[in-house]
Amino acid sequence: MNPLSEYQQQLTRRNFFGHSGLRLGGMALTYLLGRDLAGAAAPSAVHPPLPGLPHFAPKAKAVIYLHMNGGPSQLDLWDYKPGLKNHFNKDLPRSFLGERITTMTSGQTSFPVAPSKFNFAQHGQSGRWVSELLPHTAKIVDDIALVKTVHTNAINHDPACTFLMTGSEIPGKASLGSWISYGLGSAANDLPAFVALMPRFPESGNGQALFSRMWGSGFLPGRHAGVVLRSAGDPVLYLENPPGVDRSDRRAMLDVLNQFNQRSFERSGDPDIQTRISQYEMAYRLQASVPELADLSKESPATLELYGPEVKTPGSFASSALLARRLVERGVRVVQIMHRGWDSHGDLPHQLGNQCLDTDRGTAALVQDLKQRGLLDDVLVIWGGEFGRTVYSQGTLTHENYGRDHHPRNFCMWMAGGGIKGGIVHGETDDFSYNPAADPVHINEINATMLHCLGIDHERFSLKFQGLDQRLTGVESVSVVKNLLA
Amino acid sequence: MFRPWLLPSFLFLTCVPAGAAPAAEAGALSYNRDIRPILSDKCFACHGMDSKTRKADLRLDVLEEAVKPLKEGTPLVPGNPDASLVWQRIVSTDPEEVMPPPDSHKTLNAEEKEILRRWISQGAVYQKHWAFEPLVNPTQAESETPQMRLDRWVNERLPAANLAPLAAAEPPVLIRRVSFALTGLPPSLDETEQFLRDNLPGAYERMVDRYLASPRYGEEMARHWLDVARYADTHGLHLDNERQMWAYRDWVVRAFNNNQPFDQFTVEQLAGDLLPEATQEQLIATGFNRCNVTTGEGGSIDAEQLFRYAVDRASTTAQTWLGLTVGCAACHDHKYDPVSQKEFYSFYAFFHSNADPAMDGNTLLTNPVMRIKPPDYQTKVAAFEENRNARQAALNAKTATVGYQDPAEQNPLPEVKDTEVIWFDDAFPAGAETGASGHPQQLVEKPAPVASGQRSLKRSGEGMAQDYYQSGAAPLEVPAGGRVFLQVYLDPQDTPEEIMIQFHTGEWLHRAWWGQDIIAFGAVGTPQRFGAGPLPETGKWVPLEVEASSMGLLPGMKISGIAFTVHGGTAYFDRLGIKGRLDPSTDPSRSFTAWRKSVAGKDLPEVPEALRGWLKEGPDKERSGGELQQLRGYYLQNICAGTVAELAAETGAVKEANKELAAYLESIPSTFIFRDLEQPRDSFVMKRGQYDQPGEKVEPGTPAVLPPLTKAGIRANRLDLARWLVAPEHPLVSRVTVNRFWQQVFGTGLVKSSHDFGTQGDLPSHPELLDGLALHFQQTGWNVKGLMRLMLTSETFRRTSAAPAEAWQADPDNRWLARGSRFRLDAEQLRDQALFAGGLLDLTMGGRGVNPYQPPNIWEPVAYTGSNTRNYVQSAGTGVHRRSLYTFYKRTAPAPFMINFDAPSREQACTRRERSNTPLQALQLMNDVQHFEAARALAERTLLLGGATSESRIGFACRTVLNREPTPEERVALLQFQTSRLEKYRAAPAEALKAVTFGTVKPSDVLKEPELASWTLVANLLLNLDEAVTRP
Repeated sequence: MNPLSEYQQQLTRRNFFGHSGLRLGGMALTYLLGRDLAGAAAPSAVHPPLPGLPHFAPKAKAVIYLHMNGGPSQLDLWDYKPGLKNHFNKDLPRSFLGERITTMTSGQTSFPVAPSKFNFAQHGQSGRWVSELLPHTAKIVDDIALVKTVHTNAINHDPACTFLMTGSEIPGKASLGSWISYGLGSAANDLPAFVALMPRFPESGNGQALFSRMWGSGFLPGRHAGVVLRSAGDPVLYLENPPGVDRSDRRAMLDVLNQFNQRSFERSGDPDIQTRISQYEMAYRLQASVPELADLSKESPATLELYGPEVKTPGSFASSALLARRLVERGVRVVQIMHRGWDSHGDLPHQLGNQCLDTDRGTAALVQDLKQRGLLDDVLVIWGGEFGRTVYSQGTLTHENYGRDHHPRNFCMWMAGGGIKGGIVHGETDDFSYNPAADPVHINEINATMLHCLGIDHERFSLKFQGLDQRLTGVESVSVVKNLLA
Repeated sequence: MFRPWLLPSFLFLTCVPAGAAPAAEAGALSYNRDIRPILSDKCFACHGMDSKTRKADLRLDVLEEAVKPLKEGTPLVPGNPDASLVWQRIVSTDPEEVMPPPDSHKTLNAEEKEILRRWISQGAVYQKHWAFEPLVNPTQAESETPQMRLDRWVNERLPAANLAPLAAAEPPVLIRRVSFALTGLPPSLDETEQFLRDNLPGAYERMVDRYLASPRYGEEMARHWLDVARYADTHGLHLDNERQMWAYRDWVVRAFNNNQPFDQFTVEQLAGDLLPEATQEQLIATGFNRCNVTTGEGGSIDAEQLFRYAVDRASTTAQTWLGLTVGCAACHDHKYDPVSQKEFYSFYAFFHSNADPAMDGNTLLTNPVMRIKPPDYQTKVAAFEENRNARQAALNAKTATVGYQDPAEQNPLPEVKDTEVIWFDDAFPAGAETGASGHPQQLVEKPAPVASGQRSLKRSGEGMAQDYYQSGAAPLEVPAGGRVFLQVYLDPQDTPEEIMIQFHTGEWLHRAWWGQDIIAFGAVGTPQRFGAGPLPETGKWVPLEVEASSMGLLPGMKISGIAFTVHGGTAYFDRLGIKGRLDPSTDPSRSFTAWRKSVAGKDLPEVPEALRGWLKEGPDKERSGGELQQLRGYYLQNICAGTVAELAAETGAVKEANKELAAYLESIPSTFIFRDLEQPRDSFVMKRGQYDQPGEKVEPGTPAVLPPLTKAGIRANRLDLARWLVAPEHPLVSRVTVNRFWQQVFGTGLVKSSHDFGTQGDLPSHPELLDGLALHFQQTGWNVKGLMRLMLTSETFRRTSAAPAEAWQADPDNRWLARGSRFRLDAEQLRDQALFAGGLLDLTMGGRGVNPYQPPNIWEPVAYTGSNTRNYVQSAGTGVHRRSLYTFYKRTAPAPFMINFDAPSREQACTRRERSNTPLQALQLMNDVQHFEAARALAERTLLLGGATSESRIGFACRTVLNREPTPEERVALLQFQTSRLEKYRAAPAEALKAVTFGTVKPSDVLKEPELASWTLVANLLLNLDEAVTRP
């Protein structure tokens, strides 16, 4: 090679670090092989971390975020309020009602208290109260930290989801997965750093919309946007060759393409051409690595049994949960599963029952599976929706049936795994699960805690955009919830 | 792991602001260039404009404040760093003292400290931020053309950056560059040939002019503007339903094609509705401020949404024309730019009296909207009206011949009769569109229980179950003294707990029930839930009767639906009807006077407008003979039981004519326009940006740091604002605008942060060039085509982008423009290029957005169940091959071919797209059906038009895609590739067939599949080359 080209290629390599983050040729790096993913992936990785990150030694190396879209009812799942039986159908004391009620119920003449119709029992060594709707999750309570007092600013789905995932109600900001990809990169050289999954949900569920901004990159470079792994059609968009075109055709084409592009580079000197060559090679590798990822046939019968029979149905929550484990095993940094249908304004017992039936086993299996493989120490699992639901019934209340409106003032989320203390509960709510009685946790503090587990100081993790230091955790000061940390 | 030799240049490139290099070394410091960036980034957050977060009562952004002594000392002593408290704190080693404080996570490096020290010792001279200073007319010689000046301003800066200007690119490269810059498409073979054959002076300029005159020019220009205007085809929030305002998109295309001066372009979009005698075009233009995302989500709070819309419109306007990110000041005084919170809300007040509602209703057209009248609108409407009037005249003539005497005027009055009308027997009324909750409708025959006729209605259910209709049948009228009757048979083996009948009069508001009160319809104790008695005896037919009035059914009411309902058992229903009394002299359907009495005081929307008032005034008010005749005519044609049938043919003909007119009007699309409320809303500073925390009241106004606003009336309005923006003394608008066009043409703006001209933004790389162009733009009448032509005909634009390594190293982002700009094509250009090369591109302009090929499950998995943009339906025919500009833009799930290549979601203004380079893009260009079908179409063209030999065909394909002949090496490689694929496909013809039939367009049947498939892969390869996806 002549000295000029060599010089330019060296120049190009710098460009990879600075801009493209991708290089020619893949290396099967996984931290299963004992590699310290967060610390040492920098020089040769396809998705390198930002210089200086992580800020300190991380406890978690990956995040699996189970987003229960629509707002699961904390009162029927986690926040056990036996005393409410005595208030059945009595009006919630007016002193509780703030001004901010959705206009779906603000016109109601009464706000009758609806105690949960479901039975609760204590589970695990921690003696956690869990609803009968979550028999499988009840088995992992000693691994999870339950936060009862999460609160958010928004009261409707669209702004609340946007807030939860981007730290702002206004569209246009970067999603939490893209922030983490931007900061930490990933060790997955043949897969994206951030993957989003959207499983099917029960037909009885009231399915609210999802928005691409929930996994989009906002003001961050587009390569940090979550790649949607689809359950129907190509798992990654445009992954499959056109009909009548096979892998050998592509190889032959890429050989000529690379040769032409190399000549273009020699003519023009534009380092972006080297990046393009490497991206075409990466695309070629993705065509092999993604089908391998989605192929569950090599999983042991015991593992499949753990997730339940639905795991064999592509697009089910159970199969998504298993895919999530396979993704983090392969070095993917963030996996976000968005399960819809939790918006139970009416017929809540029936709807919520089906939602739990659809997700309970897969959720518990994921945590158990990670634990059995020794991965739970490295993987942070987060479960929750964009807000909770009201103690008062929306629509007609009977002992058997009721509905609940949106409730942003307190709701339940849980975290488990890397960096989190298992078997604890944080925060307490008042008798009506209407307001936090102790230790409120803002949704941005959940995100700050998540970043902390990943070795990131959320205050220092910022990017200047539109004249502001943008942070995932917003402009108001928030704290890491130390009590949750192991 | 940076190699040591890279370190110096790396530091050089990242630490010194663009534009700083030449002068900073020379020693003379400039506040704007050297000092403000440091202070702004490191100090102003606590010692700047924002009074709320200011610490220690110290301001460093204005000299007068910074020199005021504090008790610890004087912050700034010009000329004496050591006496300045600021400097003492900067160099302090005490963590309690040092500035910036450690917990701010901001630090000053050695170089920055030294610059600050020198600045204080040089006298601490402040300047107003450069972008707020008036435009400076740079030196220029009389003899210079504008192009020469442009090139001189670029070239003057090159020596300091150790760069020399490169030569012009080759002509084939130039025409490709120009064609993409102006039309977003590659040059055609003919266009290239015409340009290469033109050997006379001015050939290049003539080529540029041809593209400027192309209708494709407006489309390419509009694409960039629509990113800024955040135009899309859905509301954007929650349901994200379709909205109809593509007329605005087409207006932008026309405005650029007609070369509308940019000042008018500005005024019409911001205030077209306030212009005297605003034209239809000017009103369409106001769609700019209706492009924002809106919600119809149940539960939203109106005041909060109205607040958000005004914040969005104010921020977008400021972003677009001022290049300022004023949105920060919604919550607090701007920390960096001189825009206080009060000034933000004064700006917001221009947009806060919007007439559009807080909730968009999830409808296609949210008011205010305007029907877009086509040129022949008046003629068409007149023709419809003429036809209608002729038929009306025929009807009136016939009406005059009808013999009618009002029974109320007879003497003696006609006698009273009892009546009985059956509404249900054997079947629901004719035409009824029936439905059922529970099992489907069962009309049973004997031996099942039947009380009358051939059939009865059997209805059972475990809980509530019912049969009903609420549309489709002719209305049933409630007579005077009405009593509803029916026959019921309860199954003794499966006795219901409750039975119910319900009546629909626009809504379900009339019910009677027997048995237990279980079914939870209607409010207890009202006619909506009238308890008519215990359950009838089981096992036999029992007649039931209930006063119509106890269900709220009053004489004259029209019933549009009936329901038979049970709870927990089986019932048979039969022969439901109504008894009444007929008194012709008081019955509105018999007596003209009685009818007028019955409608007195009522609003009757179904009656022609002219008659409504007369009817409302009642029969006692005296009417002229003509008026009475019109009223009587209407009565006989539409109401009177004795005459309606006789006149039915003529009445029907009039109705038909009216329907035709209505259908025509319906077929004309509408568009969102911006209007203010009659009475403006009061606007307030909203504390901490909270919609429910109003503070001080504000009037519409502009920031004090900018030139004063001239008001035409007492209260400033949007027209004043728009004219203020395009006034010659405004320092920002022409700079911001010229910079965005520069960015479009050269890839990067002279101010790199094209969205931010404030103190946090980048400094201009070529200040005199920016000001010179901005002044030129103003002085030539805001002539956009002129500006584009000026930039494209400069030497700077024409330089080759192929550069030696030193040049790339010295200026990786090409800020100094020694070489031509080379960058990846945008999403739309990539798709349009492929379709163009394949000869598939449909160049139809305008209209509703189309749905091209899209992989399944892009919209469906994310959309709300009830959204009307949930199911993606691919457009028919060439709808899949329209220019990408016309692709339907769904904000919550934009077309993947767009966002994969960095197109924005259009949720907020976007002034600059990123240019990423990812493997998902490679997958799309190789595998997406739209690219592969286009490759096949190009292969067909190659085989049919590219000559008879493989050699000549390779040449044709390369010329089409790359605008050049292949090199010998390339020719060999392509031929080998094609031959090897041909062998494969000959051995596997079924595979070849699959490859060439991917897509909706049938391949030419004169070509053999293996051959076509092999050439398809060649075309696919060429369209994936870096050279093909790049503007060279």
